Amino acid sequence: MRTSAKATAAVASSRTDFALWFARYGTLVSLVALLVVFSIARPDVFPTVDNLLNIMNQISILGTMAFGLTVCLVMGLFDLSIAAMATLGGYVATFLLVQYPDAIGVPEAVFISLAIAAAIGVVNGLIVSYLGISAFIATLATGSIITGAMLGISDSKTIITGIPDAFMAIGQGAILGVSNPILIMLAVGLALWLLLEHTQVGRHLYAIGGSAEASRLSGLAVKRYAPFALAICAACAGLGGLMAAAVLGAGRPQGVGDGYLLNAFAAVFIGASSLRPGKFHILGTLIGVLLIGVINNGLSIMGVPTYWQYIVQGVLLVAALFSAGVLTMRRH
Amino acid sequence: MSATKAAPALSEPDGAGQAKAEIFLEVAGLVKQFPGTRALDRVDLTIRRGEIHALLGENGAGKSTLIRQICGASQPTEGRILIEGAEVSLPSPQAAAALGIAVVHQHFNLVPQLSVCENLLLSESLPRRAGLFVDWREAYRRARTLLTRVDLDLDPRIEVRRLRPDEAAMVAVAKAIATNAKLIVLDEPTTALLPAEVSVLFAHMRRLAGKGHAFLYVSHRLAEVFEIADRVTVLRDGRNAGAWTRQEMSRRAIIEAIVGARKSWDEDAGPAPAALGEVVLRAEALRGGRVAEMSFELRKHEILGVAGLPGSGAEEALDLLYGRYPKAGGRLSVGGADVDFRSPRDAKAAGLALAPKDRHAESLLPGASVRENISLPNLGQYVADPVIRFIRRRTERRDAERIAKSLSVKMSSIEAPIDSLSGGNQQKAVLGRWLASGAKIFMLNSPTAAVDIGAKAEIYALIRRIAADGGAVIFTSAEVEEFPRVCRRVLVFRDGRIVGELVGKDASEANILNLAAGAGDEN
Repeated sequence: MRTSAKATAAVASSRTDFALWFARYGTLVSLVALLVVFSIARPDVFPTVDNLLNIMNQISILGTMAFGLTVCLVMGLFDLSIAAMATLGGYVATFLLVQYPDAIGVPEAVFISLAIAAAIGVVNGLIVSYLGISAFIATLATGSIITGAMLGISDSKTIITGIPDAFMAIGQGAILGVSNPILIMLAVGLALWLLLEHTQVGRHLYAIGGSAEASRLSGLAVKRYAPFALAICAACAGLGGLMAAAVLGAGRPQGVGDGYLLNAFAAVFIGASSLRPGKFHILGTLIGVLLIGVINNGLSIMGVPTYWQYIVQGVLLVAALFSAGVLTMRRH
Repeated sequence: MSATKAAPALSEPDGAGQAKAEIFLEVAGLVKQFPGTRALDRVDLTIRRGEIHALLGENGAGKSTLIRQICGASQPTEGRILIEGAEVSLPSPQAAAALGIAVVHQHFNLVPQLSVCENLLLSESLPRRAGLFVDWREAYRRARTLLTRVDLDLDPRIEVRRLRPDEAAMVAVAKAIATNAKLIVLDEPTTALLPAEVSVLFAHMRRLAGKGHAFLYVSHRLAEVFEIADRVTVLRDGRNAGAWTRQEMSRRAIIEAIVGARKSWDEDAGPAPAALGEVVLRAEALRGGRVAEMSFELRKHEILGVAGLPGSGAEEALDLLYGRYPKAGGRLSVGGADVDFRSPRDAKAAGLALAPKDRHAESLLPGASVRENISLPNLGQYVADPVIRFIRRRTERRDAERIAKSLSVKMSSIEAPIDSLSGGNQQKAVLGRWLASGAKIFMLNSPTAAVDIGAKAEIYALIRRIAADGGAVIFTSAEVEEFPRVCRRVLVFRDGRIVGELVGKDASEANILNLAAGAGDEN
């Protein structure tokens, strides 16, 4: 019986080998192809160091948030509170700096706002682990609570005056020609890549995402990991919002993160169809973020109306998920 | 011999005798060939009108394959099926239903969230008003009629999940009768039922049989068969192994037919058993979940079998020992020290290991590599620093390769996805996981389930090696024939308690079945 299965597998393999290869490298190929197409179309504008750094700068906030989201999706947890969490990160930091200019410096403001975001992430995780509510619903609820709280605290007023230059430097400064947001995104990406790929905690997160029951029976303290993963995700989302506030030079109490929510999920899912199909991983997420950044930048350079960016992104997401699905179906 | 003794009260109906003579279903020379195996080999079966006919056999004897042919779920390779004397073909379950054959599966094929009424009328369209709105009054009336036919006094608006198991079983039977079934196939209907509920179900079955409905009843529980069946057919290895009427039934003859002449298992490889060492695990009046009470000792080098029918507490005993659910009372000591496991994590820390029954749902990491599957519980061994806890990937890989090699796991590489391995090799990787962890007490639940025959022998040899190398093993399986092959001492569970201990030659399949089936005052 097994030999015959092998024989049929061999016959089918020439066809499925391509599907396999495409599932693995399709997004990477698309990224390279887009770079080539845009470079040929606008050789004077697109393939310049300035524009490539510009693309990196444009994706830095999205990338930071998407890296964090990758950590909780590895465990199979959907965090829908990242939009509200980004708003919170930016608003709380500017609020503290403006309200207590003498007591709180920039490092303290950054630390406190990210700590608050992480603490709310821990609460999300406790709700998931100990109340047995799905992360999808729990984070939807806490996201709504955060949104309401921000509007209440701010009286719906945006903070514009009194933000110190040192804070704005987070978003507007540069080191050796590379902007701070790019450096922050890369640092977060590297740290989370190390965490997921090379530490015991990261391996346990993957194991729990693969089979919570097998992990529990293997002696893992399964319930401790959801608070951890959701705290990381929340802190990254808060950091993304903080970067946005520093770029803008303003602390907005609403709507900062909304544009990033869907794109972050799109980037992470595109990433899960790259290199290691069916698995969420940081390198894949980086590819997903770059793909979105290149499309948006290239289309706007070519003068294509903005609405096309949304349509292309949607098509791309479906294509990526489909190509990953081809492989997942084969496995079962 | 008291074949008739089990059912003194009901060797009744002479009145129904005439109806019984009439044959409803006849199966003649049925063959079902699968690639590589012949699941049914010229099987005959005759079911008369109004008869309760029991179908017995081990797992894999061909019972479910036979049922699938009869109810149209699958087509036989050769042979004939006759209904009321006329040869028929059953290309689909709908075709079988149209000819009066209905199947009630183990879990009663009911939708728990729907009402009794909706379930009963699921296969027909609900009555409507103006072609659009459901006419609920008419629907309830029809449901009540169906319930009355099986003498069930239930509100049809109640949700099925709120029913007792015996009520659910009868609703399933009522649903079968709704299609005017003349033969109702019951596939292990009593597994989820308590004894009192079983007798309620049986009373209903007898009454319906009196009205001319025939039943084909599949069960593992011999005592029940003696209580209810008018006739018995036993299958073994896809062939007829015997058939008896109620008057002829004897417990011993039926068990011998089920078991057959077992060949000796001496050909199994593996080291000779070592002399038993000190006690490594002791349970005293331990209880929790389905385990009402158990006391026993396990010694170093021992392979202890824990046998019992599904739901008897045998499998649950392993889960209880491993801390999958909390103990309700009693004492457990491991290595001489009292322990109270609150989670599998505690049990693992004390040197226990569990290979659970459902490999895919409970032990494998799907999509992950063989290496990741082997090192899952052991990552702590490879941590390089106490704070960030980096994993030494090369050491991890080397250890996984060593384990896989020593168990001769067949794989393209240690990085191959676990899903690409055969069942037997997957199971070896799962056992290797625990060998690498340094566990001392191995609890194995059906380690050879869904594993081909060659790999089975390898796993038996591995179990012996674990014991010889200083481990202790507690083994359970749904296939009773495995116990004499693997264990020298077997504890038999029934209704959550240990009802017997069989050692050496006495730990035979027949003796285990006899004890497990219960009501065994005949030997």
